[in-house]
Amino acid sequence: MRIERFRRACVALVSLSLLSLGMQAPAMAGVIGTSEAMAAARGGETRGTIDAALARDDVRAKLAELGVDASAIEGRLAALSETELQMLADQIEQAPAGGDALAVIGIVFVVLMILEFTGVIDIFKKA
Amino acid sequence: MRPGAAAAAILASAALAGCAASPPLADGLAGHAPRSIELSATPFYPQEEYHCGPAALATILRASGVDVAPETLAPEVFIPGRRGSLQVELVGAARRHGRLPYVLATAADELVAELADGRPVLVLQNLGAARLPVWHYAVLIGYDAERNVALLRSGREQRLEMRWQRFAATWHRGGRFAFTALRPGEIPAHADATRYVEAVAGLEAAGKRRAAAAAYDAAIVRWPEEAHAWLGRGNMAYADGDRVAAADAYLRVILLSPTDAAARGNLAQVLADARCLAESRRQIERAAVLAAGSPLAATIEDMRKKIGALPEPEAACALENRYWPD
Repeated sequence: MRIERFRRACVALVSLSLLSLGMQAPAMAGVIGTSEAMAAARGGETRGTIDAALARDDVRAKLAELGVDASAIEGRLAALSETELQMLADQIEQAPAGGDALAVIGIVFVVLMILEFTGVIDIFKKA
Repeated sequence: MRPGAAAAAILASAALAGCAASPPLADGLAGHAPRSIELSATPFYPQEEYHCGPAALATILRASGVDVAPETLAPEVFIPGRRGSLQVELVGAARRHGRLPYVLATAADELVAELADGRPVLVLQNLGAARLPVWHYAVLIGYDAERNVALLRSGREQRLEMRWQRFAATWHRGGRFAFTALRPGEIPAHADATRYVEAVAGLEAAGKRRAAAAAYDAAIVRWPEEAHAWLGRGNMAYADGDRVAAADAYLRVILLSPTDAAARGNLAQVLADARCLAESRRQIERAAVLAAGSPLAATIEDMRKKIGALPEPEAACALENRYWPD
């Protein structure tokens, strides 16, 4: 009986903490944020009302899909404004992702060299 | 066109674009700018594979006094599926560490001005070609006009000298993206009021209230007529529970910008919290009219309903004998 009660308490505690994990604390309850107000003042640039919750869900799913650790995602989302979330939701696959240059540069270089030797281009001779 | 020829055409045009006419540094440098700068105290973090984003970010954060390593930043910005980091996430991560990321305008003299103020600049470069991009983040720490070079902390190079034209071309192909990490209250060399306040609003949205409040205060000192800086100050006061300061700041927004629906709505909210229900309702009605057709309409309508449904308060209004705008 006592074990049962303990188990229930545990379940309640765990579900509570999970719930609070999933909840995104709003930057501020009650008033309109400055970022939102400025986006509205800019007018046309935001496409009408941004559905912040939708964009957030979208980015959350995409980050997970792209291999970002689940425990890191909420903190990353919380650092972004609504406009930025919307931008990410639209462009996460195409936006420039700065990474490691060296490997790719090597490939480009090899391609250029091959083209050079086969006489298709001659950019190196000018140098 | 044969595929090979097409590829060659793309590569050749891209290679040519790479040498497009970008003037030597000395020609573009403003008369008052130093002939050479090197922020040699800027730390260096050699990047791990694909991790130039965390390394470059750690470099500018550390230079602004935040003790953080690339390994800490990697889980905050790196996207394994993209083998790199995105610009907005670098900006977001800078906020998480209490710094104000200020994205510079696209002119090279802003880079120079930031360096002259002692701040290294994180830049996005496209080291490949326009159609075959190789994205890379580096930190610009200086330049030398006599020798016509840009000085960078880049990848595994602690001090990379790059011919200025090449640097300018790679930065140009990277969309001329550059930002600095400001200490709260610090104002960039070429600051634009709207751009600055927008950057602070990002800090506010990220929940960094203390840093945002300091930055709004600095903005108000510099640009007392900038309505949204006052809105920000009001929001920070509201979050701190200081209704008097919040109401005063919102009032200032309305005086500067009488049609600002957000300030009206927020003022109505403070008044409701302070049990000044009649005045609150009057302000939220005004806000609803001003917001009609704008992206704020739904939010304000929501506030209007909530304020309308509040029961008549039993205690007196806590913001009595004050002036409220029409």
